[in-house]
Amino acid sequence: MTALLKVENLEYYQKPTMSLFKKQSGFKLSKINFELNTGETLAILGENGSGKSLLGKLLVGAEKPTAGHIYLNDQKLSPYNLRQRCLNIRMIFQHSNESLNPGINIAKILEGPLILNTKLNASERLQKIEETLKLVGLLPDHMFFYRHMLSDGQRQRLALAKALILDPQVIVADEPFAALDPSVRSQTINLIMKLQKDLGLGFIFISHNLGIIRHISDRVLILQNGDLVEAGKTDVVFNWPKSKYTEKLVKSHQSLITPN
Amino acid sequence: MALLDIKNLTLEINGSTGWIKALDKVNLRIEEGEIRALVGESGSGKSLIVRAVVGAIPENWRLTADRLTWKGRDLLKISQSERRKIMRSEIAVIFQNPVASLDPSSTLGEQLIESIPGHILKGKWFWQRSKHKQQIAIKLLHKVGIKDHKKYLKAYPNQIADDIGQKFLIACALVSSPQLLIADDPTRGMEITTKIQILKLLSQLNKTRNLSILFVSHDLLAISSMANKMTVLYCGQTVEDGKMEQLRKRPLHPYTKALLDSAPSFRKDLPPKSPLSTLDGTIPTLQHLPIGCRLGPRCPRAQRECVKVPELRYVQDHFYSCHFPLIREKE
Repeated sequence: MTALLKVENLEYYQKPTMSLFKKQSGFKLSKINFELNTGETLAILGENGSGKSLLGKLLVGAEKPTAGHIYLNDQKLSPYNLRQRCLNIRMIFQHSNESLNPGINIAKILEGPLILNTKLNASERLQKIEETLKLVGLLPDHMFFYRHMLSDGQRQRLALAKALILDPQVIVADEPFAALDPSVRSQTINLIMKLQKDLGLGFIFISHNLGIIRHISDRVLILQNGDLVEAGKTDVVFNWPKSKYTEKLVKSHQSLITPN
Repeated sequence: MALLDIKNLTLEINGSTGWIKALDKVNLRIEEGEIRALVGESGSGKSLIVRAVVGAIPENWRLTADRLTWKGRDLLKISQSERRKIMRSEIAVIFQNPVASLDPSSTLGEQLIESIPGHILKGKWFWQRSKHKQQIAIKLLHKVGIKDHKKYLKAYPNQIADDIGQKFLIACALVSSPQLLIADDPTRGMEITTKIQILKLLSQLNKTRNLSILFVSHDLLAISSMANKMTVLYCGQTVEDGKMEQLRKRPLHPYTKALLDSAPSFRKDLPPKSPLSTLDGTIPTLQHLPIGCRLGPRCPRAQRECVKVPELRYVQDHFYSCHFPLIREKE
């Protein structure tokens, strides 16, 4: 079986801003290779500024890589064919609240990607929106709501609906749970795991919450300052960390769980 | 004697539909030298309690309490200036967003030096005093773990990282050597290594200076690693209150249990990818609070009696307010 998503030698180099007096070096994301199968979850872990969000952006096509290729089902994704990318790889942003337009209702928010990327007519679009809302556990009546009428958990569901509406094969989520309260967070995690099982989605998940990563992901990539430090199966990496940085992360997480 | 003693604190806000009880009979007690955690989700009124203690409540809100005392002095009855004096020298607060709560137009050094109270300065002449101020500032920065004092004393708030900002605010809070430090969500949005640094710093201060800490957060991981006692809030009601180990081992209130279960790290026996246990529904907004026990509509054990507010009951020093606590199953 071929991998759903395959990333080969992906590189990114950001040119430093020109300055006469200061010597500045640009940010560099060094070669990254990984594979993702259907129904698998890959977690990307790293500190702020380690390039994990950048990697997410490269995958969805919001940034163009300087070198390397991304293959989806053995088919090379061109950095310029954004429609193909949009249909197959979707992103959930960290702040679900800010990524929704406050001025239009939910039906319109969800209709946007359908108009831009598919050839469905109006009634088909409406049907699709209803289906997707039901899928994420909202009611079809929520179509007429606006952003401010929803609670945090519902907004997160809506963000998920926005990603799912084009029937993607891969979802990239950038810290989807960071802004949520514990009880709502568990609900969202359960929902994502259920959808993944039902639809066979590949899920790429960027976070720094080790507890959740350990629970939901099959494999992890650990980044530090744009370098790939370690990659492998979750339980292997967490139980027998190879690099110092991973060891430090796991140890500090352990020290929080077991009280002194 | 308790440092801070709050009993039946009720805060009412004038909404469009009449008075809304944002805090409903909250009890909180902080002894000398202990770390108490105040846990609750957003909208549970954690920050309101902090504001009530500090005295930053707008005039048109109604604040009533059977007891709101600081070392035996009633904070609601003393005059504004006296209260301010207490706040200045005995209680210190660290606010949620460190970088945003600093003045963007002056350097960190200026802000720290400004907050040094005059009476601890040595020297008769102004140059001696200003030199002493510099020394105190540098010493404080070293104490909270900022080594490069030259760089940071001259930096503006927009130039510093979040964790430095948080450490700096702790330094500012320590200037007047307070007895109580109220930390309002100090580890929010931090990654794990910096979080641990802050937590270590706080528990170290607690040990070396006998500083009491009120740690307000919803990050159970951080709390359980350092706090001695915990108070759980839900929608402005105290739900459970007791020693940390006791609460973690055997929560009596369904909400505390749900909260503990929602952190997958605590449960080693949990197989990966299995669904987590949750409470249904979401946190109600202030305008639509249910009557009686506010957890009622979401609670798996709710019965008819739950429309009445449960009284506070206790087993030894473990307080809970629930009609059907989890203890009954075991008996």
